[in-house]
Amino acid sequence: MAIHKILFASLLICLLIQSIHGATEVIKLFSKLDKGAFDVTTNTSRGGVLDAGKDKVIVTWKLSAIGSTHESEFKTVKVKLCYAPPSQVDRPWRKTHDELFKDKTCKHKIVAKPYDKNPHSIEYTLERDIPTGSYFVRAYAVDANGNQLAYGQSTDATKKENLFSVQAISGRHTSLDIASVCFSAFSVVSLIGFFINEKRKAKLEQRQ
Amino acid sequence: MQVEGNGEESGITNRRFALPVDAENKSTTFRLFSFAKPHMRAFHLSWFQFFCCFVSTFAAPPLLPVIRENLNLTATDIGNAGIASVSGSVFARLVMGTACDLFGPRLASAALTLSTAPAVYYTAGIKSPIGFIMVRFFAGFSLATFVSTQFWMSSMFSGPVVGSANGIAAGWGNLGGGATQLIMPLVFSVIQGAGATKFTAWRIAFFIPGLFQTFSAFAVLVFGQDLPDGDYWAMHRSGEKQKDDVSKVIRHGITNYRGWITALAYGYCFGVELTIDNIIAEYFFDRFHLKLQTAGIIAASFGLANFFARPGGGIFSDLMARRFGMRGRLWAWWIVQTTGGVLCALLGQIDSLTLSIVVMLIFSVFVQAACGLTFGVVPFISRRSLGVVSGMTGAGGNVGAVLTQLIFFKGSTYARETGITLMGIMAIACSLPICLIYFPQWGGMFCGPSSKKVTEEEYYLSEWSDKEKENEFTSH
Repeated sequence: MAIHKILFASLLICLLIQSIHGATEVIKLFSKLDKGAFDVTTNTSRGGVLDAGKDKVIVTWKLSAIGSTHESEFKTVKVKLCYAPPSQVDRPWRKTHDELFKDKTCKHKIVAKPYDKNPHSIEYTLERDIPTGSYFVRAYAVDANGNQLAYGQSTDATKKENLFSVQAISGRHTSLDIASVCFSAFSVVSLIGFFINEKRKAKLEQRQ
Repeated sequence: MQVEGNGEESGITNRRFALPVDAENKSTTFRLFSFAKPHMRAFHLSWFQFFCCFVSTFAAPPLLPVIRENLNLTATDIGNAGIASVSGSVFARLVMGTACDLFGPRLASAALTLSTAPAVYYTAGIKSPIGFIMVRFFAGFSLATFVSTQFWMSSMFSGPVVGSANGIAAGWGNLGGGATQLIMPLVFSVIQGAGATKFTAWRIAFFIPGLFQTFSAFAVLVFGQDLPDGDYWAMHRSGEKQKDDVSKVIRHGITNYRGWITALAYGYCFGVELTIDNIIAEYFFDRFHLKLQTAGIIAASFGLANFFARPGGGIFSDLMARRFGMRGRLWAWWIVQTTGGVLCALLGQIDSLTLSIVVMLIFSVFVQAACGLTFGVVPFISRRSLGVVSGMTGAGGNVGAVLTQLIFFKGSTYARETGITLMGIMAIACSLPICLIYFPQWGGMFCGPSSKKVTEEEYYLSEWSDKEKENEFTSH
C-alpha cells in the first residue's frame, strides 16, 4: 500500500509541473503563421529513393519576395524534415494539427541557424533514424522566445509537388541473426535434453 | 519403502517438510521469504517464470515509437499485433490445462517457455509488419504459463491458503506487464548509449527478455517438483498417481458449468487488464497530449499495482472464506469485479487528467483484485479436471481481451474514451453470472447448501463413475 501512495504522489507532482508549464504556453495556430516567407529548395544527390544514413540533400533557403510582416522579430531559422501526406496515412503519431504544439508533421530537425537576409545552403546527410517515407523540407522563422512566426516550404500548399522518398536502414545485422538462431537452438535443444533425461530417470525408477 | 501419500499424517511418512502440511501433503501456511523445498520453492520458481513470460509478451509496446518507424508500421498493424499478442495464448491456455493434468506443471510450463523463447530472439531479425505480428503472436503463447502457475499452487497449497498463493503468484507474474514498460526503455537507452544506432539498439534489447525466459525455464526444470510427494514421472511409475484418461478429464472439465461462468467473468477482469495494458499509454498520450515517457510511466503504474492488488484479492478471498466459507468468496468476487466495471465506465467519462489518473489507479486495484478473487474460487470447482478448468478460465481471460479489443478498440468506430466506458459496462454485465454459481456442499450467493447434506468428498468423488472408483480400489 505504501508503494501505491508513493507512486500516486510522484505522479501528482509530475502532473502539477507539467500543467504549470502548459499554462505559460501561447496557443499558436499554423494557419495564422505567415506563409511563403522563405523560398526553400531541395536538391537530392541522386534520383530515385534515397538511402537513410548515406544519401545527401542540398537544402537552400532565403527570404522570399513576399517576406513577412514580422521580419524584424526573426531570430533563428529552424529547418526541418517533414512528412508528406502519403506517409501520414493511418499513422496518428505523424498527424498534422493546426495547433502548433500538437502538430507532428515536422519531427526531424535538419539545422537551426541565426536569421539573416542572405541565402543559406547546407548539405544534409539523411540521418540513420529517418523512417521510410516521402518528405519535404520546411523552414520556420522563430523569435527570441522560441515562438514560430512564419515559414516557407519546398513543396506547394497541398504538399504534393517536389517530394522526395527515403528508404530507412533495416537495423538488422548478420551477427544479430546468427545470435538469435544460436540462442533459439540452445533453448530447444536443452528442452529436448531435459525431456530425455526425465525419461531416463523414470526408467531407472521403474527398474528399482 | 513407499508409503501412500493420501490419508496419512505427515509425521508417519518418510518425507519431512519444512512447512506444516495437511493430509495430502499440501502446505497449510504460506511463508513468503522461504525457499524451502518443495512448496515455497515451487512458488518462487513459478511466479518468476510467469513474470519473465509477461515481460517478453509485452516487451514491444514500450518500444513501439522506435519499432514503428523502423518497420514502417501503420496504426492498423499495431492494433493487429496487439490482438495477436493475446490471442495466441487462448488456445495455449486450454491445452496447458490438460498438459498439466497429464505431464505435471513443471514439464508443461518449462516446455512452453523454452519453445516460445525463439520467437523473442527472432524479434531481433524482423523486417516487416507481418514479421512483427508473427513474433508477437508466438511470443504471446507463453502467457499460458499462467495456467501452470495456478495448477502448481493449487497442488502445493491447501484450501485455507490457496487463494493467497494463487493470487500472489499470478499478481507478481502479471507485474511483468508493468515492469517491462520500465525495463525495455532502460535497456534500449543503455544499448544506444553504448554506440548502437536506434534501429539496431531495440533489436539487441530483445535478447534480454529472451535470455531471462530461457534461464527461468531451466531453473524450473532443475529445482522444481510437481507435487509435494515428488514429480509426476516418479509417481506414475511407482503407482502413487494413477494415470488418468485424457478424454474423461476433458469431458468432466467442460461439462462443469461453473468453469464456463468463471471463464466469462475472468474475461472481464483479466481481459480488461490486458486490453488496458495495450491501449492505456496511447490513451493518455493522445487525450491529454502528454510526452511519451510520461504516458509510459502512467501505463507502467497500472501494471505495477499488480504487486499488491492481485495478491490482495487472493488474500481477501481466503479471509472471506474463513468467516463465510465459499459464499463469502463468491460475494467478495462479485462486488469487487462489479465495482471495477463501474470505475472503468467512469474513467472514459472524465476530462481532467489528474482525476483520470486517480480513477485509473483505483480501477486498477479493483480489477486486479477481482482476478485474484477469481482464482480463490477456481481450485474448488474440480479436483479431477483442475487443469482443464484452470485452462478454460485462463483462456477465457484472453478471449475477453481479444473480443473487447475487436469490438471497441479496432479502427475508429468508437473514440477511445467511449470504448473504455463501454468496456466497463460490458464488465458489469458479464460479472452477473457469478450469482449463478452453486456448490451443493457450500451453497451459492443467494442459496444455502443443499438440503441433501452433500459433503465435500461426495462432490469431488462424483467426478468419478462407480466403475472407475472400483478399479481404483481393486488395483491397490
